[in-house]
Amino acid sequence: MSDIRTSPHHAPRTSAATLLVPLLAGGLVAVALGVYGKMHTPTGYAIGVAGFSGPLAMKAWLTTAAALLAVFQLVTALAMWGKIPLQGEWLPSAHRWSGRIAFILTVPVAFHCLYSLGAQFDTPRVIIHSLLGCFFYGVFTAKMLALPKRDAPGWTLPVLGGLAFTALIGLWLTSAYWFFTTFGIKF
Amino acid sequence: MSRLGPTYTLAAGAVLAVVLGAASLKSSPAIETASADQNVTTAATPSAPEPTPIPAPEPSETAAPDTTPKKVDYAGVVQGNGGLVALAIRNGRAVAYFCDGHIESWLKGKAENNTLVLEGKNALITAALGGGKAQGKIEFQGHKWRFVAPVVKRPSGLYRATALVRGARIVGGWIKLPTGQTVGKIESGNAGESAPYFDGGPVDWYGVTLQPQTPDTFIDGDWSAL
Repeated sequence: MSDIRTSPHHAPRTSAATLLVPLLAGGLVAVALGVYGKMHTPTGYAIGVAGFSGPLAMKAWLTTAAALLAVFQLVTALAMWGKIPLQGEWLPSAHRWSGRIAFILTVPVAFHCLYSLGAQFDTPRVIIHSLLGCFFYGVFTAKMLALPKRDAPGWTLPVLGGLAFTALIGLWLTSAYWFFTTFGIKF
Repeated sequence: MSRLGPTYTLAAGAVLAVVLGAASLKSSPAIETASADQNVTTAATPSAPEPTPIPAPEPSETAAPDTTPKKVDYAGVVQGNGGLVALAIRNGRAVAYFCDGHIESWLKGKAENNTLVLEGKNALITAALGGGKAQGKIEFQGHKWRFVAPVVKRPSGLYRATALVRGARIVGGWIKLPTGQTVGKIESGNAGESAPYFDGGPVDWYGVTLQPQTPDTFIDGDWSAL
């Protein structure tokens, strides 16, 4: 966040080494999810969010909501970094809360995917989706842990945030977009 | 911004996942306990090459007539799992479907000398035929369950419906027992759900109309997708 980087106490003394722990933790999360998804026997069943006609529809809509919030994340992030002419006191907190909500929305989806179906490697769509899902939580963990590191290099948050955004959009394309274009707009 | 804020965000996500996991375990005890039980029993009897079905040694040398039924359907309960299994034989070819509403497997194989051997994705069924029933075991993703499936007549038995919708292959399977017990699952794009109840007519799934068919129709069809 720009306010941190322009803080007077912290001159340009930055170090990529400070990212070691966040990146390692993120890597561990991604690998752990993949190993769990591959090793355990899919149960074919998981508790989800009620109100939809089935788990597929539930996941498609939650992912769509998360993806829309992710677009909002991108816009607010660009504004905070002065890349687009949009200003306001509300930007940082809007960015944080939209991110939190988007992340929480993805959890029931990922839970259902991993617990009920597991990581699968049969068709391109499913392979990409499985890998991106693991990657997304890894990079999100890394970004969350890197946020408080004031001596992290300036590119840290844009790169990690950009990767998280890209992964989430990729996840949406390989799931909700597939569902809506295959079955139509079903609740 | 609190320096702990991001950590709280991660923790909230982790807690939510744990809560969902606990709720799922609780609401779906059948499978978990069944598989746990099964592990115990298989562990208790480790060695001893299971004296299970599969008698059928080599009487084929003696050119004895193969008494395997040409056309027969079996369906029964999978012991220790609670799911159902259905098997169908048509002129030496055999298909089977195992489903407990959560996990499922389609299997294909041969019927010879009153013995069935069927293979599917991560699944294997071996059974001996005789006395009006198929008796054997199913191995599925590391689990082993036994079953005794009596001969059944329509409308009991196995049904399968397939559809291709804008590039997505949909496969539904149902098993009906004479007792009225029924189970089914629909799968598409590696994501599956419990199937809507099937009473002989078409089944609607997210607006897609599926027409379940008997093994007579689908046993020779394309099975590659599952």
